[in-house]
Amino acid sequence: MNDDTPIMPGPEADEPTEPQESPTREQADDGRDRPRRLLRSSSDRVIAGVSGGLGDYFGVDPIVFRIGFALSIFFGGLGALAYLLLAVFVPTDGDPDATQRLGRRLQGAGFWRAAGLVLIRILAIGGLFGLAGGAAFAVALGWGVPTAILIIVIGALLALAAFRGGARWLIPPAIALAVGGGVAAAANLDFRGGIGERTYHPTSLASIPADGYRLGVGRLVVDLRDLNWRQHPVVNLSTSLGAGQSNVFVPKRVCVVATTHVGAGESEVAGELNDGVDVNHSVGEGTTSRPRLVLDSRVDMGQLRVINSDRASIETPGYGPGPLHTDTAPLRAAEAKACGAG
Amino acid sequence: MRRGVKFDPVSLASGVVIAALGVLLLIDSAGGFHVSVGWMGVVLTAAVGAIFVLSGLHRGNGGKGP
Repeated sequence: MNDDTPIMPGPEADEPTEPQESPTREQADDGRDRPRRLLRSSSDRVIAGVSGGLGDYFGVDPIVFRIGFALSIFFGGLGALAYLLLAVFVPTDGDPDATQRLGRRLQGAGFWRAAGLVLIRILAIGGLFGLAGGAAFAVALGWGVPTAILIIVIGALLALAAFRGGARWLIPPAIALAVGGGVAAAANLDFRGGIGERTYHPTSLASIPADGYRLGVGRLVVDLRDLNWRQHPVVNLSTSLGAGQSNVFVPKRVCVVATTHVGAGESEVAGELNDGVDVNHSVGEGTTSRPRLVLDSRVDMGQLRVINSDRASIETPGYGPGPLHTDTAPLRAAEAKACGAG
Repeated sequence: MRRGVKFDPVSLASGVVIAALGVLLLIDSAGGFHVSVGWMGVVLTAAVGAIFVLSGLHRGNGGKGP
């Protein structure tokens, strides 16, 4: 330290002090008090206070932005991405929250490191989905008991770790395993029938397996339109599919008597539509009309369609839900005619 | 000098909830009874929600968050 250095007067000696920060709010033209910069609201928030902050900044009811963000999810999801970026990089008007701390870390880390952090998080989320899918797959392959035991052991380890400071990092993977395995077990998901596309065109009753047709994952098609229905006026058939699409085609003059179950997805039987979870569908009960198909069919997850049409193609059957399909009224009319004739 | 080990109630509660889900899956897989997709959805949502609530409550009391 040099003792000869002259001591200069500090700015506080003869200069007026500058304010540390400019005011955060100003009077707008319409007389309302608005913030000078965009900040997330700490008081008016549903998720991260983005809509509350935007509403405050623009002098608009935040519900407008909330509706906009919510609607944007159904139109490409750009709004959700914008919300996420605003949540991370726009500070709050109160104490810094978790997303703001994340934003600061990303800003301070530099581009490549920030990109790496984002990539790691994406991979972590993907890993959780992978774990859930793996658990579901294991249960669907018949390993439900080992999967359940694994989940119990992880839960017990987590509980024991609580007395040694905790192991919260174990919670997300354990939840992923439990959710994947639980959904697969509840849906009775069964992948043991194989994977792929199976198309069957039985021409006689003898060629139909006694225990029906079964597929694990994929598309199962049973086309009964080449069957000799005069020779076999009543046909019993059962089909089972784990996940995917199951289609059964019958001539339109055949009455469909069906008992179907869809664990999660949609069911369309002779033009009647149902969807949701645990969809049980009965069609044509008590009918004795001939020719008649008595169908027992289940799909654990996906779509089940019984199409009574002579002209529907296997690849693009039509007559179903979706923008490229046509109305199912012809199928319902054909079913009513076929089942009412007896 | 021995340091006191901190107790984490969130880990304990989460472990119990996840083990309970495992028991439910075990009974279902072993054929004891079958839980439908709808009820499983309710159970899983309640379980995950309970863990989130516990985590949030503990964090608030622990002085980390607002």
